Amino acid sequence: MRQEIPQGTLDMLILRVLSSRGSLHGFEIANQIQAISEDVLRVEEGSLYPALQRMLMKGWVTAEWGKTAENRRARYYQLSKAGSRQLADEMSRYTQVSAAIGRILNLA
Amino acid sequence: MNLIRRISFLMSQDRQRRELAEEMRLHRELRARQLRGHGLEHGEASQTATRLFGNETLLKEKANDMWGWNWLEDLGRDWRQTGRMLAANRGFAAIAILTLALGIGANTGIFTVTNALLLQSLPVAEPQQLYRVNTTRMPDGAGNTGNSRTSFSDYVFDHLRGHSAVLSSLVAYVPLGSNKISVRAGTLPEEVSADMVSGNFFSGLGVKAACGRILSAEDEAAHTPFAEVSYQYAGLRFGEPCAAIGKPMNIKGVPFTIVGVAASNFKGVERNPTDVWIPFQVRPELNAWGSAGKDYYSSSPNWWCMLMMARLKSGVSKAAAEAALNPPFQRAAYEPLGGKPRQGERPVRLSLVPARGIDGSASLKQPLLIVQVMVGLLLVIACGNVLVLLSVRNASRAREFCVRLALGGSTGRLIRQLLAESVVLVFAATALGLVFAVSATRALSRWAELDIAATPDGTVLWFTLLISVAAALAFGVGPAFSASRVAIADSIKNSAATAHRDRGRVTAGNILTAVQLALCLVLLTGTGLLVRTLQNLQHVNVGFPTGGLLVFGISPQIQDQGKAEAFYRDLIVKLRAVPQVRSVTLMGNRIASGWSNNTDAYVDGQTPKNVDDTMLRWNDVGPDFFTTLGIPLLAGRDFNEADTSASGPVAIVNRTFVKHFLHGQNALGHTASFTGRKAFSIVGVVEDSKYSGVEEDPQSMAWFPYTQVGYSRTLHVELRTAGPAMAALPAVRKAVAEFAPDLALLQPRTQQAEFDRSISTEILLARLSTAFAVLAVILVTIGLYGTISYSVKRRTTEVGIRLALGAERGSVVWMILRSGILLSLLGLAIGMPLVFVSSRFLASLLYGVTPLDPLSIAGAALGILAVAVLATGIPARRAAAIDPLTALRYE
Repeated sequence: MRQEIPQGTLDMLILRVLSSRGSLHGFEIANQIQAISEDVLRVEEGSLYPALQRMLMKGWVTAEWGKTAENRRARYYQLSKAGSRQLADEMSRYTQVSAAIGRILNLA
Repeated sequence: MNLIRRISFLMSQDRQRRELAEEMRLHRELRARQLRGHGLEHGEASQTATRLFGNETLLKEKANDMWGWNWLEDLGRDWRQTGRMLAANRGFAAIAILTLALGIGANTGIFTVTNALLLQSLPVAEPQQLYRVNTTRMPDGAGNTGNSRTSFSDYVFDHLRGHSAVLSSLVAYVPLGSNKISVRAGTLPEEVSADMVSGNFFSGLGVKAACGRILSAEDEAAHTPFAEVSYQYAGLRFGEPCAAIGKPMNIKGVPFTIVGVAASNFKGVERNPTDVWIPFQVRPELNAWGSAGKDYYSSSPNWWCMLMMARLKSGVSKAAAEAALNPPFQRAAYEPLGGKPRQGERPVRLSLVPARGIDGSASLKQPLLIVQVMVGLLLVIACGNVLVLLSVRNASRAREFCVRLALGGSTGRLIRQLLAESVVLVFAATALGLVFAVSATRALSRWAELDIAATPDGTVLWFTLLISVAAALAFGVGPAFSASRVAIADSIKNSAATAHRDRGRVTAGNILTAVQLALCLVLLTGTGLLVRTLQNLQHVNVGFPTGGLLVFGISPQIQDQGKAEAFYRDLIVKLRAVPQVRSVTLMGNRIASGWSNNTDAYVDGQTPKNVDDTMLRWNDVGPDFFTTLGIPLLAGRDFNEADTSASGPVAIVNRTFVKHFLHGQNALGHTASFTGRKAFSIVGVVEDSKYSGVEEDPQSMAWFPYTQVGYSRTLHVELRTAGPAMAALPAVRKAVAEFAPDLALLQPRTQQAEFDRSISTEILLARLSTAFAVLAVILVTIGLYGTISYSVKRRTTEVGIRLALGAERGSVVWMILRSGILLSLLGLAIGMPLVFVSSRFLASLLYGVTPLDPLSIAGAALGILAVAVLATGIPARRAAAIDPLTALRYE
């Protein structure tokens, strides 16, 4: 069964995917998130694009146009320095919070 | 950093949108291909891809919104829609903008003049530190020339100027003549206003020289023959202002050299611009006020003739300065008079008045205020009109609003849209209004003969902005709220036939119209009062026929009294020889100029006892004075050539003099005088006539031969001509030029024009208020017409039904007419109390008419009823012409 991505974590997922895979276009990002999560997490595909625009505005990612393997024009996104910092911040916050939640849930 | 990226996004918005769309299309296509790889059919694959992607349009909007520019886009959309709306309703927009522009323009124009006359600071450094110095009056026993409130003696000036504890500087100035004086820079003599000033005049005021230098303390100390001229005068006289430096200039026959041109925006500190300033002089030709007395301003410590302005030290308050200056002021005032005030005299006190506006404009304060109130009313009426127009139009747009609201448009958006429309209207009107204002100001300055450069400054622009914003808010918010309250369901399924639904708005509209009518009534009544005042003033009998009388001043630079007498005798002979001239005489004070000699009367050697008012007004005049003017002689004789300095002193008095001082006895043989030292035998009695102006009441008056009272340096020549007075002027000019080539004719005018000048305020007020009243009537008529037309349109079905059921067309006309008349009666009911209050405000400006003049009020009320019938008549006839069948199909 597929799960909607929790609110607010989409940014973090995109940043994380970009940080490990380098330069990707929108469709590849969506596919990567699904593939890595073994199809559990499914991006509501279109909502990727407002998120990407927001990150462009914040300066966390940069974009440039390039060609796909099939020789089609596509916009490729890359993580910027600010983006890496943001990812680190968000991951440490997420880890702390989920660890805390985990401890509560694991109470005997 | 974010901002830079956001702005660059904004700059390339179109490209960004295209790229986003391309990116999304690619995504869907790749997904569809992937699905086809999983075995889906072609069509199904793209459908699924589209479904998985989500609402593309919405996502695009969301993506764009991420950049935070959506408010700007909404705004742009509002403007574009407003532009489309106004373009589609061009007639409406034009009327609304024009109406408002008239209102705003008139208000700005009048305020520009008010501002220049009463509020504006002088164009000097730190004007807020600058004060005019006033006194309660002059001390008993002192003499005065000029306004007694603003005149000081040289002695007082000398004793106060060093008071450096509170004063940064004290400057003094005094005109060289009570009017313009004669100077010559080049070949032709001309009239200029010239002042004699203390050496620190320019430095103390904080005025710099545009070229050359400013006058200095050394100039005053050595009474140097150096002159400073105004930028305007220098430009006019020498073409290029700075070309004036070093040029010679004859001032009343005394040679001067121009050493400086004052800063271009400095036009002096008096009501009319000053052209020339010279340092204080001590020579008879250049005495204060052009006085011919043997005393100079500087040698007579009791002659109060100089004006003063003070610049306070920074941090010193007005009250502190007054407290510090009053003791030395009182010492200096009374020292030359024996050291202390007379028995029972209240010591004089000095006060400081902020140097704002133009000196001597205080008398214009009330008229200006009245005009300002009038244009204010006009603006309210204009706003009311536009409001009526707007709400009528919005009512017909009710369906549009409802559809928008029903489709999920937000009320906020709707209000913003309406606000945008009113903002556009108001600002277009403001721009146009400012154009009107400039011409209104020019016209007003010309009418008022204000020689001022009244240009809109910061204060004026703020004022205009304020009224514009107020108007925009009134137009936007008012209709917007009523529009947003429309009942959706009702409005969509229904329309005009159901009159009940917008009864609330129509009633508000009716009240608005009634208020407009009420304000119009106030304006009409005021106009009636002012016009009747003017008529009364214009029909005042001044005591002699003014037609054919020409007057001009002349200032020969002659020191010797005998020679001066000879000069005038010869001038009279020369002028009598001009074919158009019937008779010639002279006078010291020009009739109706506002100037007069007022002193205590001496009758038979002493001040009359047992009369409450001992004041005598007098004038020094030439031969044939009463014959020339046509003032009837009641007893005795007119003056003639035989009344010279060598002959026995004689006087002629008027009827009031005889009644007041001699209790109606035969006056011939008694003596009259303005001094206890010299008695003049009364040789004639004449009928009363006006002296200083039209509004004057009969006064006790005496006339003396100009040869017997010490001679004035300027005399006015009065000519009785055959035919129109101005037609004789060229020949007269020529005759004077042949006789005395160096002398200018000072202010040549007809005597009638001189009298008109004495009531120029009343003329101006009557003309302006008439113009405003006409505008108000037009606006109110349009407004009422709009309201009634709208209600007729709304009642088309009702009228149709009435007609179908057999109602007479006449009764339909009456039905509509009656609503208009009821509205105007409501207007009268609201307006009458306002009239009662406001006409009292006018009382002091009226002449020969009471504030509650029944004729003016009844006329105004009738005017309002006429407006109502006129504005209602057309729609009423239209209603009567309705075809019942068409009307019933109308829905």
